[in-house]
Amino acid sequence: MLQFFIKRIIGLIFVLLGVTFITFIMGYFAPGDPITTLLGLHNTPEQHAKLAHTFGLDLPWYQQYWNFITHALRGDFGLSYESLGRRVTDVIAPSLLVSVQLGLMAFALQLLVGIPVGIIAALRRNTWIDTTSMGTMLFMFALPTFVLIPLYQLLMIFFVQRFNLDGPPLPTSGWEGGPEYKIMPVVILAAAGMGYFARLTRTVMLEVLSQDYVRTARSKGLQERVVVYIHALRNAMLPLLTVIGPSLAFIVTGAFVVETVMAVPGIGFISVNSISTRDWPIVQATVLLLALAVVVMNFVTDILYSVVDPRIRIS
Amino acid sequence: MDIQKSSEQEIKTSIGASLFELELEAPAELEQVGTAPPTVSPFRESLQRFRRDKRAMISLITLIVVFFLALVFPPLYQHLGVTLDNEVAPGFVLHVPSTQYHSPDYQDAARLHQYPSSLHWLGTDDSGQDLLARLLKGWQISLLVVLAVEIQDVVLGVVFGILAGYFGGFLDMILSRFTDLMFAFPGLLFAILVTAIFGEPMQEFVTKVFGNSFAPYGRLVLVALVLGFTVWPQMARFVRAQTLQLKEQQYIEAARTTGTGSMKIILRHILPNVTSLIIIAATLDMAGTVVNEGVLSLLGLGTQPPGSSLGLMIAQYSVYLQAFPYEILWPIVGLVLLVLAFSFVGDGLRDAFDPRTKN
Repeated sequence: MLQFFIKRIIGLIFVLLGVTFITFIMGYFAPGDPITTLLGLHNTPEQHAKLAHTFGLDLPWYQQYWNFITHALRGDFGLSYESLGRRVTDVIAPSLLVSVQLGLMAFALQLLVGIPVGIIAALRRNTWIDTTSMGTMLFMFALPTFVLIPLYQLLMIFFVQRFNLDGPPLPTSGWEGGPEYKIMPVVILAAAGMGYFARLTRTVMLEVLSQDYVRTARSKGLQERVVVYIHALRNAMLPLLTVIGPSLAFIVTGAFVVETVMAVPGIGFISVNSISTRDWPIVQATVLLLALAVVVMNFVTDILYSVVDPRIRIS
Repeated sequence: MDIQKSSEQEIKTSIGASLFELELEAPAELEQVGTAPPTVSPFRESLQRFRRDKRAMISLITLIVVFFLALVFPPLYQHLGVTLDNEVAPGFVLHVPSTQYHSPDYQDAARLHQYPSSLHWLGTDDSGQDLLARLLKGWQISLLVVLAVEIQDVVLGVVFGILAGYFGGFLDMILSRFTDLMFAFPGLLFAILVTAIFGEPMQEFVTKVFGNSFAPYGRLVLVALVLGFTVWPQMARFVRAQTLQLKEQQYIEAARTTGTGSMKIILRHILPNVTSLIIIAATLDMAGTVVNEGVLSLLGLGTQPPGSSLGLMIAQYSVYLQAFPYEILWPIVGLVLLVLAFSFVGDGLRDAFDPRTKN
């Protein structure tokens, strides 16, 4: 176990270094001179050199990379170009909170809807319940987020026009405000993962339900409920654990679209805005944070999985 | 004995209707007494399985129609329609032929937000661009990006996958470390980072080399490159795993003992055996590529405004949802058709060529 753990930790460190290096080198080669941007049009070479020195931009690349890592470890991602020397951390801190809320709610919704729907579809397989629920879930999985949002907004407009309402029954964009503002961004962000989990749960449950031990449990007269939820579900959970990492990646990339299109002031929103103002340190910091979240989550699921299923460690 | 038989019977009935159909069909085939059963190659058998898959076949037909519309129809459409007489000033009439107003980039300030008519088959949008022409162009762009991405995917994935699987050692170690890294970095995030930072220089470069008409699509070169770069490690991993399995097969060993060179073994024996895997993996990847190109264009990192791409059109028309809701439906329908068709064909191929994956 310890050997496996150490091996994985080494792998994690390698991946983390790779991710930081990619984000650093992108910023390093980014076009444009940040010092000129900060100083404005009127500056002397001495001022330029002095400011470059304060930012550490006159150092060779490996020293800059070292500084980038050590500062990032302390939660310092440098200074924003666009908002004239505001710290990147201060700019993204409030949006981080919004994104974490949005992401966690969407993740919870994925599990709370996806897994039960998958179980029900597996139990009632080849009935209309199975086909309709799996058809819906397939569409939710296959339809991209940026298609779901306008479709939902069209539906709200239809309601308003058809029933002569003063406003849409649910807000079509925004985040601050009552709980009704939180509903649709969360649902739309969760949609893809919901479909993914539901279909996977169905497949896994069908496989588990055809196992010998389930037949044994049934034949010794256990209640169907006990067989399904105690015997079968526990083993079906194993494969589901492995996809928690990928499903988080869904949420992270989906958040870019949901936040931008539905005007939710989260990490994705900030970074898309910073892309248009060419504020690379902010883009770097947000991408790094999101990638780190996915990497660490993958690592945790790996470890969790090997704890639950010892065979993984051997192979 | 009896118990065993009855349980077999039960299992048969529980397997489902598909087996029954086969059993019912069987006697008709058996009537041809005396002729040897036709030998069907595994490939042909898979192809037959694919043909029986209704969903996949409908999707394939949809794809063919979209291909035709996107690649053949635009020039025809440009030659359909009368010449317009636009009076731009009193006494000054501009003759606009259909080759102009049916081209995706042409903007006509006198005809904004028009309903479908014989002049503009799907109407016009907020800048007077023909919606059908833009939709077709958007499909073209999507298909081009898919083609560019899959070429990289297959070439890089197969070369590195087979080399790593067959020779192992240092190359294998490097590849697996690299794929670990690429799997950890969410692909779209990487694409957003690269296209955000290097999109503008790329656009300037393409404009300088190919001229102004390519300016809106300059960033797509980078989009295709970076999307291809994020998908090939997956392909390499599939191919590597398959190669590792094949390498242990007896016929490969036999080839090696008779002195066949590694290059020949790879080309003659391994490559043909991974082909179906490559096709399936590439097809399954296409839907994701269409979506990712759409997201990048939607975020303003792909196609730029006068140009057309499905993602960009969705972004542009979502501003006019309330007043002109039907406009946004065209790019949405176009994109959803493409995405669903690609993924259903991919699913169908996988089920047909690798029946074990079907539950």
